[in-house]
Amino acid sequence: MFGSRRKPVEGALSLAYGQGGGVRNMPWRKYAVIYKSVLLENLQYVANVALGFFTYFVFIYIYIRLWGYMYRSPEELIAGYTKEQMIWYVMMTEMLCFGANANVVAGEVARDIRGGNIAYLMNKPYHYTLYILARYTGEWSVRLPIYAAFAVLIGAVLVGPLPHFRWITLPVMALCAVLGITINAVFKLCISLFSFWIEDTTPFQWIYNKLILVVGIVFPVEIFPQTLQPLLKLTPIYTVCYGPAKLVVDFRLEKCVEILAAQAVYLAVGCGLMFLIYRKGVKRLYVNGG
Amino acid sequence: MQTIKVENLSKTFRIKRKEKGMRGSVKAIFHPQTEEIRAVKGVSFAVEEGEMLAFIGPNGAGKSTTIKMLTGILYPDDGCVEVLGIDPAKKRKQLAYQIGTVFGQKEQLWTHLTPYDNFRFFGAIYDLSKQETEERIAELAERFALQEFIDTPVRNLSLGQRIRCEIVASLLHKPKVLFLDEPTIGLDPVVKENVRELIRQMNREEHTTIFLTSHDVGDIEKLCQRIIIVNDGQIVLDDSVEHLKHHYLDPKSAGHGQEEMISVSMEKMSAVAENGDSSDVSLEDIIVEIYKAQGEE
Amino acid sequence: MLTAAKNQLRVCFLSIKYNIMREMVNKVTFLTNVAFMVLNDASILVQWFILFRLRDDVGGYSLREVLMLWGLVAASFGLSNLLFARVLSLPNLIINGKLDAFLVQPKNVLLGVLTSETRISAIGDFLYGVILVCVCRPGVGGFFLFLLFTITGAIAFTAFALLLGSLSFWFVRMDILQNQMLMGMINFGSYPDGIFQGAARVLLYVLIPVGMALWLPAHVMARFDGKMLLAVLGYVFLLSVAAVAVFYRGLRRYASGNLMEARL
Repeated sequence: MFGSRRKPVEGALSLAYGQGGGVRNMPWRKYAVIYKSVLLENLQYVANVALGFFTYFVFIYIYIRLWGYMYRSPEELIAGYTKEQMIWYVMMTEMLCFGANANVVAGEVARDIRGGNIAYLMNKPYHYTLYILARYTGEWSVRLPIYAAFAVLIGAVLVGPLPHFRWITLPVMALCAVLGITINAVFKLCISLFSFWIEDTTPFQWIYNKLILVVGIVFPVEIFPQTLQPLLKLTPIYTVCYGPAKLVVDFRLEKCVEILAAQAVYLAVGCGLMFLIYRKGVKRLYVNGG
Repeated sequence: MQTIKVENLSKTFRIKRKEKGMRGSVKAIFHPQTEEIRAVKGVSFAVEEGEMLAFIGPNGAGKSTTIKMLTGILYPDDGCVEVLGIDPAKKRKQLAYQIGTVFGQKEQLWTHLTPYDNFRFFGAIYDLSKQETEERIAELAERFALQEFIDTPVRNLSLGQRIRCEIVASLLHKPKVLFLDEPTIGLDPVVKENVRELIRQMNREEHTTIFLTSHDVGDIEKLCQRIIIVNDGQIVLDDSVEHLKHHYLDPKSAGHGQEEMISVSMEKMSAVAENGDSSDVSLEDIIVEIYKAQGEE
Repeated sequence: MLTAAKNQLRVCFLSIKYNIMREMVNKVTFLTNVAFMVLNDASILVQWFILFRLRDDVGGYSLREVLMLWGLVAASFGLSNLLFARVLSLPNLIINGKLDAFLVQPKNVLLGVLTSETRISAIGDFLYGVILVCVCRPGVGGFFLFLLFTITGAIAFTAFALLLGSLSFWFVRMDILQNQMLMGMINFGSYPDGIFQGAARVLLYVLIPVGMALWLPAHVMARFDGKMLLAVLGYVFLLSVAAVAVFYRGLRRYASGNLMEARL
């Protein structure tokens, strides 16, 4: 039932990229243009974003109460985390989840493919999947900072400061978060691309979302039984939610290097997979004549 | 007997106004500004049993607002409506058993079902027994020539076939009044003619009162005896089609006390007519002139 | 009177049947949707197993009680969405003037609207709820109590959605408020009430129908209490009456599609 618990931010994300004439020499510039136009569109929806805070607040509030109950004393550690760290961990993962919701783009890709719109988008002078990623980046780079500010506010008022937080590590955390968001989007796009073969990919999105939610968002990896932990480190969860949030609540250099390396590998593999599926899908489209 | 009686009917819509941007949105919460649009301003008319009436006017004149008040969709602000002796605003359900509606641009049918299944559903809505429904479907299917596609899902039907099904669905319960809002919109001439013939037949055989709005003058000319033209929420002309067609040249015989209202158009029509025989001027020309004259006021 | 009610039920039944038939046109999609929703709901179990590894109770609930509560929430939500899914798009219908077709039918407008859509994943939610409760072995009496509360829960959910959705007759953006409040209801409802204290708890029993429609029934299922049962029934009845009253009051302001035309 939580398949759609994150309501997409409403917005007329119409195709904004129009004139591709003068950008032939700079192949990357077109993605910048796509990014910019969506960014501008999204600024208008700041008000709608604000309404999404309510649900975010509800979640965080529940976790604050829940962990408040689970920790019997203020000094207790659960899986090596203090109560503050545990709550900040959830706040960070939920912030990424709300602020960089990829369900909208994923749904759009599935609709483009099923609805036949892909035939028009495919022949434009850009790679369809990168076009989608650029648009998605335009969307979240407006929403995420707002959620981040909101999260810090809630944290400061209701939870208290993080014990070992140092501002100097912030750029690395941001980089890690951006990579995590992008990897997540790439995987969700891969699922949507299966729309070339099957009619409805949303059930698979639910499962993916749920995997991320249950295993990655609510709890840090350390809380699971010892035997499961190596296995969990191999799933995208490790790079998508655990990594960025862990660095915020408990920054360690060796952890940081490990996570960034894992993210690089994941991004490369994910993109390779995405291009491969896309190419096969398009081929199939030609064979069947759309 | 009068089937429809409307007296001094009015409807006003209030539209919220909002200034642009965030600031406007915030302001709108604390000081909502509304603008009133008077869609229908004190309209009165009556329709006799078995009559076929064309209720026309330019876009935004208030005709669909009126038709929606007659069928119980909208609450009137003022005035009094009686359809078959029933007030639509108060006894909507009771009235619904006795009227049929076809809105050319809105579909009432379930598109994934066949016309037959749809008719069964509408039969249930109008409390017809299974046997009654079957008999009525068989009768109407023959009359409207639906047999060949009655078991094809509606989404696979052509527009003409769909409209025929829409009409049949609204006739299952033998309504005494049929409200048709642009029934022939988007149809080709042959299908249009076919639909008109079916409506005429309904009127003849079941003595159904027909209340029609349409922008298609052909519909009016071929179906209706009487025409009411509304503009800006008011009736500007209420006359028989025959009378309008043959006496437009003579302002005095325009009748029904509408002289002043259409005198402007009459002058123009005279000018048009000087250049040739009066039969050259079609009903469409007359209506266009009346609309234009209204717009100039 | 009795025949009218019978005819009305017949129409509702047909409408729901046709909705389901529409969804079943593609059998593979239908089955994967249902099956994956069951899986999707079941994945939350991981969270509870982890939490109960840390402590023996969460907010005063045992694992079994939490599962019963979660089963009740899923089944209620599923039932509401199976029968009355249209309530979720009510703001859209009101704003865009799409109630006309229901208003020209000689049947109850509200029931006509509510039963005009179904969500197939709701079958998955409902099934999951029933399976989960069966696994907890509630006994025959307990199971009937569960069914009763599933019905009242579904009614409460629908009524709350109807109440908020009907505000669209007066205000804009009610679709967002409706969505947020309903999600809030489900999210709060799937955690034990014992973890919420003070003002928050009062709000959850008063402002959002989580307490009266979900937590209290969970208490009654755990330990039967006749007074609480009656309180739940009374509450759901009053909530429904209020929601229906607001809808019909708003319907007088219904502007059909005309407002949209006027805006142009």
